[in-house]
Amino acid sequence: MKRIERAVTFTPDQIAAYADASGDHNPIHLDADFARSVGLPGIIAHGMLQMGILAGVAAEAAGGAHRLHRLYCRFAGMVEPGDTVTFAAEDAGPGKIALSAVNQRGEAVLTKASAEYRSS
Amino acid sequence: MVEPDRVAAFARAIGADPADGVPPTFAAVYAVEATGPQLFGDPEAEVDFARLLHADQEFEWERQPEPGETVTSQGRVASDISRRGMRFLTFEITTMAEDGSALCRSRTLFVIRS
Repeated sequence: MKRIERAVTFTPDQIAAYADASGDHNPIHLDADFARSVGLPGIIAHGMLQMGILAGVAAEAAGGAHRLHRLYCRFAGMVEPGDTVTFAAEDAGPGKIALSAVNQRGEAVLTKASAEYRSS
Repeated sequence: MVEPDRVAAFARAIGADPADGVPPTFAAVYAVEATGPQLFGDPEAEVDFARLLHADQEFEWERQPEPGETVTSQGRVASDISRRGMRFLTFEITTMAEDGSALCRSRTLFVIRS
């Protein structure tokens, strides 16, 4: 399995599109004033938006989404609009994939990320 | 129902090709969103959403649903622990096809800051 990498620069539009598509309209993802009022730096991307991109990278490494059996990650760091996150997948033994998501400062935003897949 | 239009919008939002079928993490919609209102509506699970953080997530799939397929999800509060001013709430959700076969198991940990 070759290493698969995808770099994504997050935008308010993408976060709003994910809110609409997923049904998660928590204002911490949409309203900067509200986000600051609860102690955040501003709006932040949904963890599940990040995990969705991670799943795409994992599926490509596995040879298709139909082969993915398990996916796990911990949401370890906040992702703000303008941040560029590099999502990567690499071989971790038979049926296993090691995953990572690192921002432009080298900080892991998803940790302990891994996937398992079937061979067919 | 796994709404085809919503699947396509979801795929585009995560940078996937809608032609590739239902994205695996669309389970966030048919499992977590489908059962969340009931699980959060549980008086024992009463939470302040502004202080809610999604801490981790695990999915296990037997297969991906087809666009247009009808699925049923059942969720439960697997654990609810308060420690050092933080509340740790775990939801476990099972999604089944119409014939009762398992499609997806989801495990979600939320942390609520005080």
